[in-house]
Amino acid sequence: MAFWLFLMSGLAVGALYALGGVGLVLLNRATGVLNFAYGALGALGAMCAWQAMQWGWPEPCAWALSMAIGLAISLGFGALVAPALAKREPIVKALATLGLALSLLGVMNLLWVVTPRRLSLAYDALSIDLGGLRITATRLLALAAGLAVTGLMGLFLARTRVGLMMRAIAENREAAAILGAPIRKVEALAWGLSGLLAGFTGMLFGDLVRLDPAVLTFMVIPIVATTVVGRLTSIPVTFAAGLFIGAVESLSALAPPLAPFRLASPFVVAIFMLLWLNRGRALTFADKD
Amino acid sequence: MIDISDLYVAFGGLTALNRINVKLDAPVVGVIGPNGAGKTTFLNSLSGFVRPQSGRVVAFGTSLLDLPPHRRARWGLRRSFQKEQVVDEISVEDNIGVVLDPLGLSRGEREKALTAAFEFAGLSGLRKAKAAELNAFERRMTELARCVVGAPRVIMLDEPGAGFSQGEVSRLRDFILGIAAFNGAMTLLIDHDVDLIRTVCVNTMVLDFGILIAHDATEAVMADARVRAVYLGVEEAA
Amino acid sequence: MSFTRWPRQQWAPALAVGLAALATIFLANGLWMKVLTSVAIFTLTAMSVALLYRRLGQISLGHVALMGLGGWVALRFSHGFSLPFELNLLAGGVVAGLVGVALAYPALRMRGLYLSLVTLMAAGGFSIVVNNTQFPNGADGFLGFAVRATAYMPRPVLAQSDAAYFIYCLVVTGLGFLLVHLHEAGKPGRAWALIRRSEATAMAAGVNVTLYKVWGFALSGFLAGAAGALLAGSLQLLDAHSFPPADSVMICALTIVGGAWNWFGALIAALLFRLAPALLNDWGLNGNAAYIFFGLALIHALATAPRGVAGKLEEALAAGNRK
Repeated sequence: MAFWLFLMSGLAVGALYALGGVGLVLLNRATGVLNFAYGALGALGAMCAWQAMQWGWPEPCAWALSMAIGLAISLGFGALVAPALAKREPIVKALATLGLALSLLGVMNLLWVVTPRRLSLAYDALSIDLGGLRITATRLLALAAGLAVTGLMGLFLARTRVGLMMRAIAENREAAAILGAPIRKVEALAWGLSGLLAGFTGMLFGDLVRLDPAVLTFMVIPIVATTVVGRLTSIPVTFAAGLFIGAVESLSALAPPLAPFRLASPFVVAIFMLLWLNRGRALTFADKD
Repeated sequence: MIDISDLYVAFGGLTALNRINVKLDAPVVGVIGPNGAGKTTFLNSLSGFVRPQSGRVVAFGTSLLDLPPHRRARWGLRRSFQKEQVVDEISVEDNIGVVLDPLGLSRGEREKALTAAFEFAGLSGLRKAKAAELNAFERRMTELARCVVGAPRVIMLDEPGAGFSQGEVSRLRDFILGIAAFNGAMTLLIDHDVDLIRTVCVNTMVLDFGILIAHDATEAVMADARVRAVYLGVEEAA
Repeated sequence: MSFTRWPRQQWAPALAVGLAALATIFLANGLWMKVLTSVAIFTLTAMSVALLYRRLGQISLGHVALMGLGGWVALRFSHGFSLPFELNLLAGGVVAGLVGVALAYPALRMRGLYLSLVTLMAAGGFSIVVNNTQFPNGADGFLGFAVRATAYMPRPVLAQSDAAYFIYCLVVTGLGFLLVHLHEAGKPGRAWALIRRSEATAMAAGVNVTLYKVWGFALSGFLAGAAGALLAGSLQLLDAHSFPPADSVMICALTIVGGAWNWFGALIAALLFRLAPALLNDWGLNGNAAYIFFGLALIHALATAPRGVAGKLEEALAAGNRK
């Protein structure tokens, strides 16, 4: 029984990792930027939402606030900073998002004293009974959202015109521009969606994991692990990796020797994947020459 | 001599080199063909950047395909690229000397090799200059000096003359002609400049769609009807 | 060597630092001495981060974790054997270098971004592991930790007092700089330069690309581990919360802000990292404001000043030369 409980819990968090990972991969494919600030965006959104609820705002407004903040900052970054670095190496673009993450962390630590807080969402009170297993609605929401949004994103990329343009831009920005793809608009869309997603997952992480700026900012670590497994390109693999990592992380709590280290699971899984990917690799070709 | 047998390279569904069989045995061998014929892929297979699906390459008694790329370079395979690969932040001397580093030469030997290469490439006055200060031709010559310094056995040049003036190409021509006498190496030259190929290459091989359609003395190849058909219009442009 | 022919941008910073060091030795009290010792130590760390970025174009987001590892090894050796401090220092450096390579090796053979991802995850992993194992404090067992034990790591024979240890750290950092310089002026430097230009070109020139990338990371990790050992010697006891991933990220950001191409860029990074927050706290301001500034400074540096503050300083000093 404990097994199923822990598994469900792990899958819920894993679905959030997966969602974050898919968002990162999508943004990376559309703009060439690996957004290290994803966690920080969600963190700021969640903290502001919590603060709003402390002030008596109704919960749906708090949700909207979180996503709006994620959207606004992400779009702002995409419009103001990303273009200045458009022609630089990927590492430089990723570093810029790191700068954003650090700034946001500073803002959060400035505004809120470090103290234990709880983000309670209405869905926490609801739960369903599955064969003797009590699963809170929040967990179900995380799982369902993870599956739904990932599926939608996959369809979006594969079936819509805008999705096609996104893929074209990811393949070869200059060629896509010559062919008439509205680069700025598509990129803005990618940044915006990514920010919206960050705000959404931030709320759920804040509820299911912990409402702490640093912890939420560094949620980017397990999310990044999922993208590593997905080779920064494959959405389905990234999604599966997220669920897997979440499950491993949660189930490790059941094995006493591993239990204290369970939060290191994302790292372990990602490293194994990298070693596996590299087996039998004869040639180093890190860059396009 | 370089003995290439059954060289086959395919990328996904595309066959880049289709069972090339050729024995190269002249001081300078030209490699020509229309764009996309597989010339650069050919060089890349020899360099080791591309792994052929099958085939053997035995150069001067050594099976090259068994060696990793950097070991082929140490064995004596040197190469220049379409876009010159000179490092801005270091000196010309370091740019050239880097290729001697793994060879464990004594100071005296290294100095001798470098001085000779500098003179041969006409760069003697620029030894300590930072590569960033050089003009385009000097940079190309630096890259070429890196190819000839020491005791290489096979030198592969990929369109070295592209973008240069008549006078500069002429200096390039003299340089290539002098390589064999300078260090005894065999040179493979890819270029679209037919005049350069004619003056410099003893033999020439012609690739088209990954297939070797001719390999003979250069004049014979240029007169070959199949080659002319494949190159229709290119001679005028060159 | 005639000093009048030395360009201003080389001797001016050296002179400034020399004077500042002297001032510290004679004027600083307990707290500030510790802070400035920390600055000297983190200069070494910043140098190691800068090496990786400047020569290999790689960003490590886990170097403070490597420091922690070096510190852990130094403490364990110190409590376990009675070897001189210097050997504990070397042990810390070597283990950090080796572990760093082991973790980074799979990523070194892939695109540059992967190394950053792996090191970031490693930093997170280290933090979790060390929160469980704690740092050695004189107890028995492999982990050498027990809640009640409190043994302090002895200082080196030559540098028992805080002031002497400050000088000791300066010397070690200086040696680290020398080690890097020797590499850059010789074969490794040429090989790295070529690799940065293009891995294909490097291979075509006979450079064993994987070996040199690994070596670069090993050297960088070694220096970080040594810095960690120095930190252990300074505080004589390390705390599991002292090496969070945020610090690894921050030192990397500041190295770029300070400038990865000059030695005093690393010093500027360390000053921002350790001195600035201490000063802010002293003046009653919230140290977190610094984070905001540093994050923005990183973005600014990336966009407009790739060589960082040190680069701008160098330009300014050099411009005065042309008279």
